[in-house]
Amino acid sequence: MSTPAAASTRAPGFSESPVRWLLGKIGGGIFVLWAVATAIFFGIRMIPGDPAEAIMGGPGSQASAEALAGARSQYGLDQPLYVQYFGQLWRLATGDLGTSYSLKTPVSEVLGELIPPTLILAILALLVAWAMALVVAVLSTRSGALGSALGSGLEIVSAAVPHFWLASVLILVFSTMLGWLPPVSTNTAAGLALPVITLALPLAGFLGQVMRDTLMEAQRSAFALSARARGESEIGVLLRHSLRHAALPAIALSGWAFGSLLSGAVVVESIFARPGLGRSLLSAVTSRDIPMVTGVALISAAAYVVIMALSDLAERLADPRIGTS
Amino acid sequence: MTLARPLATRLLPAATALAAALVLAGCSPAAMTPDASGESGSPVTGGTLVYASGDAEPACLDPHVGGNFPQALIASQYLESLYTKDADGALIPWLAEDSTVSDDGLTRIVKIRTGISFTDGTALNADAVKANFEHLLNPATTSSTGYLALGKIASMQAVDASTLELKLKSPDNSLLESFSMPWVAIESPTALKRSQADNCAAPVGTGPFKVESWKKQDSVKLVRNAGYVLPDPKAGHAGGAYLDAITWRFIPEAATRYAALQAGEVQIIDNAQPDAIAAAEKNTSIKHLDAPRPGASNRVELNSSKPPFNDVLVREAFIHAVNVNASIDSLFFGTAVRSYSPLSSVEPLALSEESLFGYDRAKAAKLLDEAGWSQRDSEGYRVKDGTRLSLSFPVSTSQSIPAEQSLFEQMQATAKESGLEIKIKLLDLSSWYGELFTNNYNLVSAPYTKVGPSVLSVLFHSDSTIPAPSGYFANLSQVKDPSLDALLAAAGTTKDLAERKDLYTQAQKKVLEGYYLLPLYNQQNHFLYSAKLKNVGATTAVATPTFFDTWLSN
Repeated sequence: MSTPAAASTRAPGFSESPVRWLLGKIGGGIFVLWAVATAIFFGIRMIPGDPAEAIMGGPGSQASAEALAGARSQYGLDQPLYVQYFGQLWRLATGDLGTSYSLKTPVSEVLGELIPPTLILAILALLVAWAMALVVAVLSTRSGALGSALGSGLEIVSAAVPHFWLASVLILVFSTMLGWLPPVSTNTAAGLALPVITLALPLAGFLGQVMRDTLMEAQRSAFALSARARGESEIGVLLRHSLRHAALPAIALSGWAFGSLLSGAVVVESIFARPGLGRSLLSAVTSRDIPMVTGVALISAAAYVVIMALSDLAERLADPRIGTS
Repeated sequence: MTLARPLATRLLPAATALAAALVLAGCSPAAMTPDASGESGSPVTGGTLVYASGDAEPACLDPHVGGNFPQALIASQYLESLYTKDADGALIPWLAEDSTVSDDGLTRIVKIRTGISFTDGTALNADAVKANFEHLLNPATTSSTGYLALGKIASMQAVDASTLELKLKSPDNSLLESFSMPWVAIESPTALKRSQADNCAAPVGTGPFKVESWKKQDSVKLVRNAGYVLPDPKAGHAGGAYLDAITWRFIPEAATRYAALQAGEVQIIDNAQPDAIAAAEKNTSIKHLDAPRPGASNRVELNSSKPPFNDVLVREAFIHAVNVNASIDSLFFGTAVRSYSPLSSVEPLALSEESLFGYDRAKAAKLLDEAGWSQRDSEGYRVKDGTRLSLSFPVSTSQSIPAEQSLFEQMQATAKESGLEIKIKLLDLSSWYGELFTNNYNLVSAPYTKVGPSVLSVLFHSDSTIPAPSGYFANLSQVKDPSLDALLAAAGTTKDLAERKDLYTQAQKKVLEGYYLLPLYNQQNHFLYSAKLKNVGATTAVATPTFFDTWLSN
């Protein structure tokens, strides 16, 4: 495989050509999207009740027989299941996400409005979580056994805190008691603070734990010792060598973390009355809005695939050893 | 929980006094009357009221489409009905001026007020009302509540600009009550000709406010209708609303809504939870409006179509085996009052029979022995022919608030002492309906709002046990009693008011004495609002607040 020509196209961290790597990622992504679409298609039909009734305004709407029949034929629900399934796959493949049953507007249009606020929330939460995790990890490793134990304890507790509880406590303290931050989220710094912290804190605890273990290991490793021997300061060792090591597992986890942020958004967007994918997924599931549920799930899956690929890429760039062995 | 006692004792000096107060409070869902608490100061014009709703965000702002309570809440600000209720709870003409019915009850003439226009400039007249009824009855509109309310109309004709003649399939003395519901509100016929999507986004009515814009999952912006004409000049001040605008926000989480009210971000919240109400009662800057919904009380229905509740003895035993009152007091912090009626306390014809209910384990034990459930299994549950006395109780998490779910759990605990097993299943709305459609329940609690005692026909007539094509049926206790059917049919068609009352009383007696339901309390409809908001208290016939007379003080 390693012909001179192929070797010359190698980028850092890639044993194969980056193009091949990219194609592999795209193929894997398509497989994931197909699996998600299939699981939702069949899964949602297992729930008792009639999708036509969801179209007619939800369960118990007492729609007349002719109205239901009309809805069934309009949305193709009267066709055999396999026809519906392949029809759905074809439409999804051609980029048609269908029309929301409850909102009566194209799903792609609704998603276009809801993706940005959720993305802002998730990206900010990820950045804040990284910052918090780094600070706690660095401070605690540099302040002896007691500091380390303290940091570890803090991380374990915050990693275990449920979003729902944390959000309620933050609202109680910062909105009701102190009156500093609004309980209802807007896209301003003050309006974003509480939801971002709610999402970031448990994540920071998780990332911090992983980061600190690697950091301590790196501080004791041979390259750190040799760097110190070369006269490098502790800060220099940390910045130039150890942090890079500590970041690796955290980068690998960030893909997973982003997925968890999307599920956390369901809770956080509802509590802080913030428009977004999570909140709309919740209401779509309750109202059996199949096109909306499918659309939100596919978008989340696609985001997950992209983020996983990006974190893989970041990992390879941070540690050129990966993929070259 | 520790707060519950002193508060309950403060709020409930005596159960009877409170029941009486509640009837009075119930009457205050008055159409356009200023609130009785006596607001001082002269009204201030201007300002934007921010309302925070915890009800689901409507998929369509036109309550003709579908027809649920969240739609009624917001539509009451921009749409008006033919009838409404006054301060005493009596039905009064609103956009209608008068109505008469023929001796055979089959022809009804409705006189429409003149000089009123919709906010798009279209004039209100008999043709406009006819267009609304046609819109409601058209299957393409997918109306449920309004469609059912107008079900008896066979044909209609605008005789002249202000006269609408309705021909009915059979007499219907609840028609004016139906006309008072927001789900049968009158919209501009010009606007109704637009696509359904356009009309859903911004319905056009005659109300004191109009829809300006709708940001999904966030808020609906309503602005003052500058050309507002009050249909009944006796009912409020002249001119338009005092407020410039209303921002109708959707804040699903109860704690967040209350925090937003405390922070001054919003001035009024609905779906206030018992703990927040109890806290607000001690806070001078927050006021409380208790406006119970009309129609049925909140109740647990006993499925009489299959064992074990096909035996009236077991139904009666269940009623005496559960301790409801103590739980309601503690879980609802004294904000909910026990009901002993199938109807809401705001229904003038509600019959209350406290003597039939009550926690009595000895009586329950005797009844169960008599019914043959005399054996006990290793876990202490009653057994008959090798089968445990087990009751399936699907609970919709989106319809039962946490306090109510706790109440059901406490009922479960007390029933166990009498050897009855209650299996509570917490379900999302779709799955909950699934259990109902497949008759997979013994106990169920479902809300139902309709103006007037005719809701009894919806809930207890044997016709309502036949599922609609969607699988839904409203008679969840599955009572099939020809004598009850006859009473309900006669009550719905008689022209004699005294006879109507007598027939509905007999009908209620039958369902209560048959132990088909366990009444709990009025459908909870609590609003908390800032003391800066003056003259809150005016509500429509279905107890949704209106803000025509309301102003914001500085």
